[in-house]
Amino acid sequence: MSAVLSGGIATIFATVTTTVVGGVVAAVTVVGLVNANTGTEGPSPANVNQPVVQYGTNG
Amino acid sequence: MPLWSVLLAVLLLGPALGPGYVLSYDMVWVPDLALRADALGTGSGLPRAVPSDAVVAVLDEVVPGMVLQKLVLLGSLVVGGLGAARLAPRGSLVGALAAVTLWQWNPLVVERLGLGHWPVLLGYAALPWLVGAARRWREEGRMPGVLPVLVVVASLSASAGLATAAVLLVLANRKDPAQVARVAAVALLANAPWLVAGLLHAGAALGDPAGAAVFALADEGALPGPLAALGLGGAWNSEVLPGSRAGVAAWLSTGVLVLLVAAGWRGWWRRLGTREAGGLLVLWWLGWGTAVLTWAAPAAVGAVTAAVPGAGVVRDGARILVLCAPLLVGAASQGVVEARARVARAWPGPVPAVPRLLLAGVLVVWPVTLMPDVAWGLGGTPGGGLRAVSYPPSYEQAREAVESAAPGDVLVLPLSSFRAPAWNGGRTVLDPLGRYLGRDHVASDELVVSGTVVAGEDPRVQEARAALAQPDPQGRAAALARAGIGVVVVDRSAPGGEEAGAVEVAGRRLPVADDLVVVEVPGAVARQVPRAWVVATAAGWGGWLVLLLGPLLRAGQRMSHRRQQ
Repeated sequence: MSAVLSGGIATIFATVTTTVVGGVVAAVTVVGLVNANTGTEGPSPANVNQPVVQYGTNG
Repeated sequence: MPLWSVLLAVLLLGPALGPGYVLSYDMVWVPDLALRADALGTGSGLPRAVPSDAVVAVLDEVVPGMVLQKLVLLGSLVVGGLGAARLAPRGSLVGALAAVTLWQWNPLVVERLGLGHWPVLLGYAALPWLVGAARRWREEGRMPGVLPVLVVVASLSASAGLATAAVLLVLANRKDPAQVARVAAVALLANAPWLVAGLLHAGAALGDPAGAAVFALADEGALPGPLAALGLGGAWNSEVLPGSRAGVAAWLSTGVLVLLVAAGWRGWWRRLGTREAGGLLVLWWLGWGTAVLTWAAPAAVGAVTAAVPGAGVVRDGARILVLCAPLLVGAASQGVVEARARVARAWPGPVPAVPRLLLAGVLVVWPVTLMPDVAWGLGGTPGGGLRAVSYPPSYEQAREAVESAAPGDVLVLPLSSFRAPAWNGGRTVLDPLGRYLGRDHVASDELVVSGTVVAGEDPRVQEARAALAQPDPQGRAAALARAGIGVVVVDRSAPGGEEAGAVEVAGRRLPVADDLVVVEVPGAVARQVPRAWVVATAAGWGGWLVLLLGPLLRAGQRMSHRRQQ
């Protein structure tokens, strides 16, 4: 009886944990993707108004 | 599987797939690229775009340049992703989906896309297919018919060609000398166009040692270069570094990847066998080791590039990390399968559907979760990401003016390599004007990174500079004509353009709107390409064509035989 009960609790605990982790990952992914798609778009800040346009920046 | 791969690719490229051209750092596509001496390898500068430019110049006669660029960008991601699915354990859909995500959504892909290194991405896309083709060749003893075409597509630039050659040589059956010889021959022929051109320019192929320091494998935020390289990151240019890679997500991402590889290691090794797994481990060491060498000892790498002609091809340390990808993705996807099996074993009773699906989802999408800001055209990178734009009408007018001008090459001014035009959203790009105009052109090949100037190698740039230093317009025109320059085009909107435009060159000014000034220089002396160069270049391209067309001709012959029977 107690084994069945502890097995049932373990199942519930594992299910809840997986659901929470999965839900958090799903939420973070969706929010991240939506933010990336709705972020403000502007000209590259690195090169505007420089005397020579650089190939890039280190660091 | 294809649906997931296409979805990821579209999500990553986003607005880059819209109408127009994506112009980002080294990625320059124009409506109709001409098959110039530069593209074939007989120009005066180092053959940096051989054979890629020549291939595009031929293909854009059939498919418009704009469409071709979309096909290359989308195709390299999807074809690579589908190939990566084959690196996963057979029969595991979740493992295969995880392999696709990891292959298509990682710092290497993002940073090379941002830098515009599309030939590297094509080589990367061919890698998993090459691994499979090499396996078939080892097992069956016969070269798969598709292999030469794969190798050619994967070798459209020097660094991509070297990586491809390394994969072929490491994975060949070393107990079969004939196979090793054939592998070497295939690699040699696929790389012949740039190899020959490089040898012809050997005198100018010594790199500026300053380049080794600025292009070395770099730290990503607080993540040291060698750790960033474990997760395929560490490109030198922080302007293409996504914000997520500069924070804690990069540490998490590296940690998850290492854990998955560790979890899957034994099963992966057993599945592939010592021969193939050992080969992929050698390739991983070669890629990671070379990248870390550029990070740890840039001075030594600089000394080598300054002393050994052509050694500069390895100075971009993170580029060679493509060699690490097959091992990482194969072992990590195995790790995904092992992780699910462990959870199933630990679960009290059978795993219900919802937790099973959630766990599978987490294992498949985690690369996106930890680097979401690159979605929709790398919007989360400081450089501004990828957007499709249209060229201003003045470019077409300038092209028509140059077409109507007297013979001679084009000099593009001001003498600086990169532009950040307003019509490109201020995003940095290698000056596209020379390629757009359709003639051989002389343009600066000097690079400036964080204020450090990396000297160029094209001797004609110095000749042009000396000509422009003459005291009067007639003197300048005469010196330019002697150097083979028939047209001078000044982009007045570029930084330094007003100053360059103020240096008058005697000649006929051709009508072009907006900010471009086109001056026809009379009496240009055509640049002579030595006959030996022409013969050597033709031989290199001949070998390349034999490799590319040979299997196609053989397939055609087989089909015609079957029809006759």
